[in-house]
Amino acid sequence: MGVENPGMSGSGSPTFLTTRLDFVVNWARRNSLWPMPFGTACCAIEMMASAASNFDLARFGMERMSFSPRQADVLICAGRVPYKLAPVLRRIWDQMMQPKWCISMGACASSGGVFDVYSMVQGIDTIVPVDVYIPGCPPRPEGLIYGLMMVQEKIRGESLANHAELRAEDPLAAGRPRADDREVFDLTGPFGNSTHQNRVSGLVETDAVNRSEDRLP
Amino acid sequence: MSTRTVEYGVSRNPEMGPGGTLVASPTEPFDAPEPELGSQTMLVNVGPQHPATHGVLRLVVELDGETVVSVVPRLGYLHSSFEKLGEYRTWNQIVTLTDRMDYLAPLIYNCAYVMAVEKLMGIEVTDRCRVARVICMEMDRIFSHLLWLGTWAIDVGAFTPFLYAFQQREKVYKLHEALTGARITTSATRIGGMMADLPAGWTDGVREFADNLPATLDEIDGLLKHNAIHIGRTQGIGAISAEDAVNHGLTGANLRASGVPYDVRKDRPYYDYESYDFEVPIGCHGDCYDRYLVRMEEMRQSIRILHQALDGLPGGPMDVADPRISLPSKTDCMSDMESMIHHFKLITEGIPAPAEDCWFSVEGSKGELGMYVVGDGGPKPVRWRIRPPSFVNLSAIPKLAEGHLMADLIVINASLDIVLGEIDR
Amino acid sequence: MSPPTSQGSPFDLVAAGTGRARESAAAVEAPAAVPPGNPSVTALRERFPDGVLRNAVHAGDEDVVHIDSARVVEMLRWLHDAPGQQYDHLADVTAVDYGGGRPVEVVYQLWSIPHRRALRVKCELPLHGLEIESVTGIWAGANWLEREVFDLFGVDFAGHPDLRRILMPDNYAEGHPLRKDFPLRGRFSRAEQTRRALTQDPEDYYVPGEIGERVPQVIGADAEGDEGGDDVD
Repeated sequence: MGVENPGMSGSGSPTFLTTRLDFVVNWARRNSLWPMPFGTACCAIEMMASAASNFDLARFGMERMSFSPRQADVLICAGRVPYKLAPVLRRIWDQMMQPKWCISMGACASSGGVFDVYSMVQGIDTIVPVDVYIPGCPPRPEGLIYGLMMVQEKIRGESLANHAELRAEDPLAAGRPRADDREVFDLTGPFGNSTHQNRVSGLVETDAVNRSEDRLP
Repeated sequence: MSTRTVEYGVSRNPEMGPGGTLVASPTEPFDAPEPELGSQTMLVNVGPQHPATHGVLRLVVELDGETVVSVVPRLGYLHSSFEKLGEYRTWNQIVTLTDRMDYLAPLIYNCAYVMAVEKLMGIEVTDRCRVARVICMEMDRIFSHLLWLGTWAIDVGAFTPFLYAFQQREKVYKLHEALTGARITTSATRIGGMMADLPAGWTDGVREFADNLPATLDEIDGLLKHNAIHIGRTQGIGAISAEDAVNHGLTGANLRASGVPYDVRKDRPYYDYESYDFEVPIGCHGDCYDRYLVRMEEMRQSIRILHQALDGLPGGPMDVADPRISLPSKTDCMSDMESMIHHFKLITEGIPAPAEDCWFSVEGSKGELGMYVVGDGGPKPVRWRIRPPSFVNLSAIPKLAEGHLMADLIVINASLDIVLGEIDR
Repeated sequence: MSPPTSQGSPFDLVAAGTGRARESAAAVEAPAAVPPGNPSVTALRERFPDGVLRNAVHAGDEDVVHIDSARVVEMLRWLHDAPGQQYDHLADVTAVDYGGGRPVEVVYQLWSIPHRRALRVKCELPLHGLEIESVTGIWAGANWLEREVFDLFGVDFAGHPDLRRILMPDNYAEGHPLRKDFPLRGRFSRAEQTRRALTQDPEDYYVPGEIGERVPQVIGADAEGDEGGDDVD
């Protein structure tokens, strides 16, 4: 079993050894997630509250907030992201090492929230790929913890066999929007009073995975 | 005006006795003639994603060795266009936006905004509402100062006060939640009253919080006040004279630390603040340590106000008895056709405001928080402008930081107590 | 309190301005029915008889003085320095666009710490000549406030030491957002805005030139020209 092609033994199916290896690797990964706190606004305060005494994120292996993106595993984008900040967010995401995950915390990061205005990014999924969206304005610390546990759960289902596929990155994509024009249009259409409630209506084709087993029991 | 001058209990600097004039700072640049090395200054970029900038502030710092030559703050990384958005919202809908602007003291913003609109519309709120808002504002002043205290301690190198402060903050979170259902984004006020009356037992919770807080403050004070590292890093750092502070538009604790006793609660009293017995702490050096002392004392004074307000909280209705302003009760709406129509009309049409403008400022936790509202006779503002205290306070940072060390810049920035949501709006 | 009377959607009301703002303000101001509560208003009228255009009392007790925009620095300096005035605290500088092509008002909120008096000074600027002298020489705190008005309204402050955009990106090409003719969601499509945002270099303006130029620089004459929202592609 070559390291450059892990998990493949002739037939392409995972072997006993690789599944055990997956288990160990995923166990290690999900219990030592180092968050990169990209906190901008109100949600950042709740993120701080999560890290403080009453909620204590350290219980989940996250006592070390990694303020350097290069040593971080999960990007927590907490708060509003204006267009002026978008290249910074993208730069930080690009600087993070694989494997990496992204949490969009709060309504503003996930969809723009009430700020459907000239200066705001309408959902950071037009900038970076997002694994878990946490609703709320702002979400409670329990919400953030639940989101982090969903990331852990997602890691549990990953396999080194499809590592290359899961972790594929296009080097040319740096500095370009993650979504194409059509998708940005669909994702950022006005909502609220509008009938074009894109995310809820399910009319938009996105990469979002909707599997019931992704949810925690 | 009753003021209380905070004094250095301990001074590490032999050139500056307690209450004496600031002679020099231990971190003054080395004064000997520098050998000509042909060196040049260096640019360091701090932020916008930096743990010590309290948000997405970006400072471009020019350094000579480790001494700050100049600082260029770059803002706008959190510009959410509140003021533009407000022009598309009715007067009551804007309340929701105000607490997202300063998420460290949301209730002060809620109250300040509706107070400005009420003044514009000429509405007198009930006695109970006035006192309830005073309680809310003083509670959130402490709430905001506690967060400042925690992050300030982290920035000077201590982590424990952060945990102590957040323990107390959690109690205010719970009080917020009991009052409004939200931990930070409270949206507690409405024009002419509050979202709801105070829930049963809420005042007891506030009283318990106010009773328990001094012990925590003393504990944190014990960790910091006479701490050699804290004193060495803050005394004589980022000092500004009274004239300069006024000229730069500083307000709040940053101005009072320089010895100017300007407090909107005393100078332009609103909501019977003149009848509360409290002192305005002022400093005499205008440096970071004085700002720390002033804020600590402010929290203690806020506790005094809280106790007086809780004792004097009158009964009676919370909202004004004007059907053009106040909504009917939910029970009436569900059982009575006229109330339903009334509710519907008030929500859909909004409350019209006269075609005038109005400026109302309160003493926010960061400084003078001004609200400038311009109506045109319709239910939406022509212009809703916030005078952001930390925006103006931050504009003095190039002056404060010049000549200090890079590490002091972080302390100076922390001592100003900024919140980016309000700076960038 | 009368309900809103104009027809159409309330959004039009905001976008176009109702026109009643001017009328009713004029009605209040015309005969000076309410005497000014602030002695500075009378003093200012005596000192600058032709500089004060009109004065009024708004919202019960707030004194508003409209002054000639060409003499703003002279008059505000007098308010700042004169012994009986001493408006040493400039609380706010902002602007109001009423829409419908009406002039933009620049609003100064003054407060005198020694005398405990507030005064609001307004200058009207026509939309085709949004230029006024900077008051940074009087109050250093006006620096960023004026930059913000420049950024969001496009008002040019002559003599400002560092007149650049402050909140929006420096290369922002959509115009001045707080003008009434600026749409809430901006002029470009979201896709275009996203693309433009990501082509910015986060290290932009992190160059020695910015600081090197900043120190001796006197901007003002050459500050305009690159602004304006008419380069919509």
